Amino acid sequence: MDIPEGLRYTRDHEWVRVEDGGVRIGITDYAQHELGDVVFVDLKSAGTAVKKGDPVGTVESVKAVSDVYSPVSGAITEANADLESGPELVNQDCYGRGWMVIIAGAPVMEIEALMDAPAYRAYLEQEAK
Amino acid sequence: MRTPLFHEHEKLGARIVDFHGWDMPVWYSGIKEEHLATRRHAGLFDVSHMGEIVVKGPLSEAYLDRVLTRNIPAMKDGGILYTFLLNERGGIIDDLILYCMVQGERYMLCVNSSNKDKDHAWMVSRNSEGAVIEDKSDSYAMLALQGPFSGAILKTCVGFELSTLRSFHFALHKTIPYGELVISRSGYTGAGGVEIFLSPEAAPALWQSFLDQGAVPCGLGARDTLRLEMGYPLHGNDITESTTPLEAELAFAVDLGKADFIGKDALLDQQRRGIARRLVGIEVLDRGIPREHCRCIKDAREVGMVTSGSLSPVSGKGIALGYVDSQLKEGTEIFIEVREKHLRSVIRKPPFVSGTLQA
Repeated sequence: MDIPEGLRYTRDHEWVRVEDGGVRIGITDYAQHELGDVVFVDLKSAGTAVKKGDPVGTVESVKAVSDVYSPVSGAITEANADLESGPELVNQDCYGRGWMVIIAGAPVMEIEALMDAPAYRAYLEQEAK
Repeated sequence: MRTPLFHEHEKLGARIVDFHGWDMPVWYSGIKEEHLATRRHAGLFDVSHMGEIVVKGPLSEAYLDRVLTRNIPAMKDGGILYTFLLNERGGIIDDLILYCMVQGERYMLCVNSSNKDKDHAWMVSRNSEGAVIEDKSDSYAMLALQGPFSGAILKTCVGFELSTLRSFHFALHKTIPYGELVISRSGYTGAGGVEIFLSPEAAPALWQSFLDQGAVPCGLGARDTLRLEMGYPLHGNDITESTTPLEAELAFAVDLGKADFIGKDALLDQQRRGIARRLVGIEVLDRGIPREHCRCIKDAREVGMVTSGSLSPVSGKGIALGYVDSQLKEGTEIFIEVREKHLRSVIRKPPFVSGTLQA
């Protein structure tokens, strides 16, 4: 299971990367693996205000539909348009080209409250028991 | 419960799910890849969870002719039929494949795993003729080898020439390593190929032999998308005890001309009154995937409900089966409500794609 250092993670298996001007959000390697072939991604559009825990989109595999929840509060400034024609990017490169949205204005406290890589790994191990 | 192939699935790293009490593989490499492998080459499915009910004795023919919807006395050895067990209201208790082993003497019903106990209890309760009815599900493993390369693989592995077997017929084929095989030219994918019944002990070796010859292991996920692309109904979703074969557009599997069978009066009555809803194929024109229970809308009015939906791995479009007002003909545009969105869709007669594809 690929869990890169330097990212923050949620219990719903989203990742958060802090960048200039906002945080980039996607789903983790564990999540894409659980879903199987992602065939459709539907994201909220830029300009949408979200609170921590609000859905920012849905990811569908052949069999299942999953919501993606915002790990932080803020406003969506960009949604990954590449996923419209290439939903499989979520499986192929979930921490890279398979990113989902960028959210600006997130409180630092909310970001710091998320798990770091070792904590997320421990969380997955505990979940597997 | 586990099939005789459970450890093979584990070895292959399958994602296992609980399917009506059975630990079954939902996918190995991925649903899309397995789906396309079946259309282009050959896919191998463990369907040992399916139930086998044997009906035998001199009264078996008369009995089956009364509890099933097709003309049983017309069946010959080696013939198979798609047919139904109906309740008195004409509702579908189960859809099944009937095998004529010895005309007038011995038949086998291949039934849905989740309905097997219910089917068996129903059949016993309606057995006024006194036929011998046995649940033999534990005596059989069942493999489905599907796709355009199935014949070549079958020939290499068990020396059987598929071209000698007509569609919807079966043959008994004796082999040394795997014992006697019941090889049936049938399937649930539209890709051609066979379904094979054999002893549970022999199943892992035959499974491995097919894989060694290039068959791709496929899970229940691909089985579902393959059948949906063909428009084949799934019992529990598209057909249930509250739907009749007439509504489900499956009248071909009902012989209303024969003297009597359970459910016949209800079907004749429904035919006289008129069919209010029917099961249709629906193709989505917008981006999006219809799912079970999504509402169908036309002119701001609810006109039906999706009973199965997915994405077609071949066309990349959302596809569905659902019941709609019977006035709505093929080509009619409707909307399917998926979460808050209304997806523009069109009623289409399945299959949605061709059953096999160029390799």
